[in-house]
Amino acid sequence: MRALVQNVLNGTMMGCIYALITLGLSIIFGVMNIVNFAHGDFVMIAMYFSFWVGSWWKIDTVATPLVTFPLLFVFGLLTYYLVIDRTLRQKYVTQIAVTVGLMTLLRSVAQLIWKAQPRAIPYSLIRGNFVIAGYTIMLSRFVSALVSIAAILIIYLFLTRTWQGRAIRAASDDLDAASLMGINYKWTYALAFGLGSALTAVAGGLLMSFQQVDPTMGLRFGLLSFCILALAGLGSTLGLLISGVIVGIAESLAMGFWDPRAQSLVVYLIFVLVLWLRPRGLFGRK
Amino acid sequence: MLVEPLLKVNGLTKRFGSLAAVNRVSFEIYQGEVLGLIGPNGAGKTTLFNTITGLYRPDGGSVFLKGENITRLYPYSICKRGMSRTFQVIQTFNNLTVEEAIRVGAYNRHAEKAVAEQVGRIIPFFDLEKIRKKKCEELGLALLKRVEIARAVATQPDLLLLDEAGAGLNAAEMSELMEMLGRLRREKKITLCVVEHVMKMVMGLCERIIVLDYGELIASGKPEEISSNQKVIEAYLGKRAAR
Amino acid sequence: MKTGRNKLLLWLLFLVIALALPAAFYSSQYNMMLLTTVVMYGVLATAWNIIGGMAGQFDLAAGGYLGLGAFTAGTLLIRWDISPWLGMLAGGLVATGFAVLVGYPLFRFKVREVWYALSSAALVSVLRVVFLIWEQVGGPTERYLPFHKWSLYHLRFSSYIPFYYLMLLMLILALLINHRIRNTRLGYYLVALGDNEDAAEVLGVDARASKLKALMIYASIAGAVGAIYACLYGYIHPNFFSSSLSLEVSILGIVGGMGITYGPLLAAIILVSAREFLRANFGGQLEGLYLAIYAVVLILIALFRPQGIASILREVCARVTSRKEKDD
Repeated sequence: MRALVQNVLNGTMMGCIYALITLGLSIIFGVMNIVNFAHGDFVMIAMYFSFWVGSWWKIDTVATPLVTFPLLFVFGLLTYYLVIDRTLRQKYVTQIAVTVGLMTLLRSVAQLIWKAQPRAIPYSLIRGNFVIAGYTIMLSRFVSALVSIAAILIIYLFLTRTWQGRAIRAASDDLDAASLMGINYKWTYALAFGLGSALTAVAGGLLMSFQQVDPTMGLRFGLLSFCILALAGLGSTLGLLISGVIVGIAESLAMGFWDPRAQSLVVYLIFVLVLWLRPRGLFGRK
Repeated sequence: MLVEPLLKVNGLTKRFGSLAAVNRVSFEIYQGEVLGLIGPNGAGKTTLFNTITGLYRPDGGSVFLKGENITRLYPYSICKRGMSRTFQVIQTFNNLTVEEAIRVGAYNRHAEKAVAEQVGRIIPFFDLEKIRKKKCEELGLALLKRVEIARAVATQPDLLLLDEAGAGLNAAEMSELMEMLGRLRREKKITLCVVEHVMKMVMGLCERIIVLDYGELIASGKPEEISSNQKVIEAYLGKRAAR
Repeated sequence: MKTGRNKLLLWLLFLVIALALPAAFYSSQYNMMLLTTVVMYGVLATAWNIIGGMAGQFDLAAGGYLGLGAFTAGTLLIRWDISPWLGMLAGGLVATGFAVLVGYPLFRFKVREVWYALSSAALVSVLRVVFLIWEQVGGPTERYLPFHKWSLYHLRFSSYIPFYYLMLLMLILALLINHRIRNTRLGYYLVALGDNEDAAEVLGVDARASKLKALMIYASIAGAVGAIYACLYGYIHPNFFSSSLSLEVSILGIVGGMGITYGPLLAAIILVSAREFLRANFGGQLEGLYLAIYAVVLILIALFRPQGIASILREVCARVTSRKEKDD
């Protein structure tokens, strides 16, 4: 029983971070109807960026997003303008092809450059743990979860209260109407893509405080975010957070009670089941 | 003398959120006639078409085609049973040639061996011989509309629904269209239901007219009756006066 | 028509060359292996064209169907000494069954294509882990097929040459199927669906049924190839459920040219040869290099020439022939 609760606690915290990652994907998908297959690899790159920025400038990894956020934002913008923009008028298969190609490129180049050797920071500000009611909470995960929730909240406010944010939501609802109202769709798309990508920087910096990074991470985070996106559906930020927590808990329970190899299997199974039974997602509007 | 209607719509309702775009609409279409469906913009005409043809799921009511309940069927099933339609905003097969587009429709009722023949019948009927090898994306509006109708007719429907087929056409093209529709009736024996804004087409073509406003059926009858109907006039003029 | 006859002649020429190739390479096992691999990818990519190019679904499960075919045929052979010839059929059936399982819920009205792509990718990984854990049939170690020096019944040979011809046969089959579909109802329906699904639906096209048919044909071919694959390698292992193979196949399908029958084959010939060349010369250190190159080619083609390599070839041929006509 204790082990169960411990696992659930761990899973919940991880789930918050996963939800933040998925939020980026969700913004892009909602606006442009494109699932960025390379999203998981963006997380991987964000983690590497955090590693370097932290090492070179001797700042703690949790502070690195201050630098990596704009970096990844620009990276997202570049990706949009160079790669995505041209394919928007093409067949849907071609659009998928481009992000699949991007994913493959990032992953294989990363493997070429960094081989299989993982990188990790020696320690972070938020190390250690504390104990509540007999359960061990790792500070790094706890703080990461809190920061993730805060970030999700900030983005939620951005999307609902600011003009740019509302422009993004309008574009995802009805592009024609939005452009008639003066919203430059290209810039909105680019902004959405940049923002969606930049959010991975926050998650990346947080993750580095307790994980190591290697070139294959893209697969894991990609799978997690696709699964959570499918589970959540489009239209509800809170739903995204809840779905993230659900998947985080499921992953944690699988690792703890079934088989460490089954960690990804459970996520795959949830993903496939959701698509088969309820493609709209639990909280989806469309 | 009671004749079984070709299409019978009973209390059909379609909601979007809390708005009833189509609200308990009932009407019939009889074999061989041309029914006009008119109403101000936003009255729900296209939604009605979409719901009847299976693109939307109705929230209430039923639709019977040739006595068979088609309410919950998918569009392709309904087409197989003899009802076909065109779209208000033309849905072209950009990368297909005129011939290929028509062939897609022809496969509906014709097997592999007979398909070429059917295409061979449809193309001259619609005078598309000269452009049969052209890609649809290269055609102008009037021709595209003709191809869209030809496609639908290739499926060999008993009932053809036309959503604003006359929109965007000039006077000459309009006459051509009306003549073609007349031939469809006489030679191909297809029953027509026409959504139109162009009054000349409606009055000239239709034997019977039904009027939709705010999703409800407000009038039904012969063209002369409709044009003098108080409710209909209010529905149209009332809006203009309000502006 | 002149072009029709020319096309047929070209195909016959290709066939003759393909049949004669082993005569030039029979001495080198490595080269024969390379040829067989190229042809195999050609078969898979041509089959992929049916679901990817015609039905417009970005499938990432080639490895899944291949693996299922391999395990079906392999298990039948190991346990009950059933010939892989039957195993090919059985493998095709099992793969098809799985395909229907995946496709049926996903080809519902208005479910977006990207979910199929992700789902198929997930399927391959799920299958891999399942077969790793499933000790009775799979497990972490290779299961070797019974050894025979030369057996037609067991499909074991001490040379690659028979496998080459077998794959070539599959290739011809795949090309013929591709061609036939294109000119009949299914092909027209699929292309129409890919172009404008709403318009196609009201013309009587059953989107789900059409996509499922395309998927089933593709999966059955991939499954049959899987059976041959198992015999070629002499063992079965969960790594056969390979995501990178699936990725490669789909890249070949797209890069080759989605509307054109010989497109994927062309891409296979060019890219797979290039891959082997890289592997031979740069060895293990630059393992991921070929995949990076594939990715770049994919992105470039998708951005600048979505109709694929085959369309470039077509244009070049057209320009050459028109210049010839001008000279005449």
